[in-house]
Amino acid sequence: MAKKLDPLLHNELRLSILSLLISLEHADFGYLLEKTEASKGNLSVQLTKLKEVGYIEITKTFKNNYPYTECKVCPKGIEAFEKYVNEISKLLNLKK
Amino acid sequence: MKPTNLTEQESLQIIQQMVDKAKGNVGDDAIFYLLWGWLVLIASILHFTLNYLGNPHFWAVWPVLMTAGGIASGIIGARKAKKQPTKGYIDKLMGYLWGGFVITLFIVLIQARLIGWNYAYAIMISLYGLATFISGGVLNFKPLIYGGITAWILSIISFYVPMNWVVLLVGLSMITSYLIPGYLLKNKYHG
Repeated sequence: MAKKLDPLLHNELRLSILSLLISLEHADFGYLLEKTEASKGNLSVQLTKLKEVGYIEITKTFKNNYPYTECKVCPKGIEAFEKYVNEISKLLNLKK
Repeated sequence: MKPTNLTEQESLQIIQQMVDKAKGNVGDDAIFYLLWGWLVLIASILHFTLNYLGNPHFWAVWPVLMTAGGIASGIIGARKAKKQPTKGYIDKLMGYLWGGFVITLFIVLIQARLIGWNYAYAIMISLYGLATFISGGVLNFKPLIYGGITAWILSIISFYVPMNWVVLLVGLSMITSYLIPGYLLKNKYHG
């Protein structure tokens, strides 16, 4: 089953991140941390992986003198997400 | 990269949960419905009462209360934007919708003498209805959709009643389109 699915998205945390970002124009690191309930380290690693393949864009700036990380989904990420949703829908239909 | 052993159901569940979580701040908009609902309701009752009592300055309640509402909305909106770590597409759409609503409202207000004040109020009730109806559809919140429809019905009635009664219909439209849905929205997300 997993062969057909994008291994980058077929992971609980990465799928959670992309599902959140797909519904939002952008989100900061703290927000993603709160909603995914992941650890800072793990979230950071998974965000980097998604960035490396061009699924998301990460902008690091400063807000009130504190580092501020903003994440945004890229067109490639939207395409991958839609494909992933289509694939799991197909697999679910096959099982019915 | 090793895929984890997620089943299709689990994947769908994660997507559903996260999309729901991203909708979380929608209930914060209730404050605007309540603020404007109360302000316009109070303004319309004061207008009706002062006019009934023969006070020539009855119209002054509008610029005073609406300016206060504009300042309060600006402060609340700015604070909300500062606190909010995200910006959703719904927030963006609502911003443009209500921004466009205010501009159209001003155009009607500026031309009210040409249109005639009672017709201008009737058009304004219709505009409240339109913005509330679209908001209800976008937020998938039926009380706002019904509130919008009620405002349209009140707007049609407004075209056929004397001016002072139109003002009371504006107040009534605030109860049905802003206050009732506003409190229901607040309870749904913060209850």
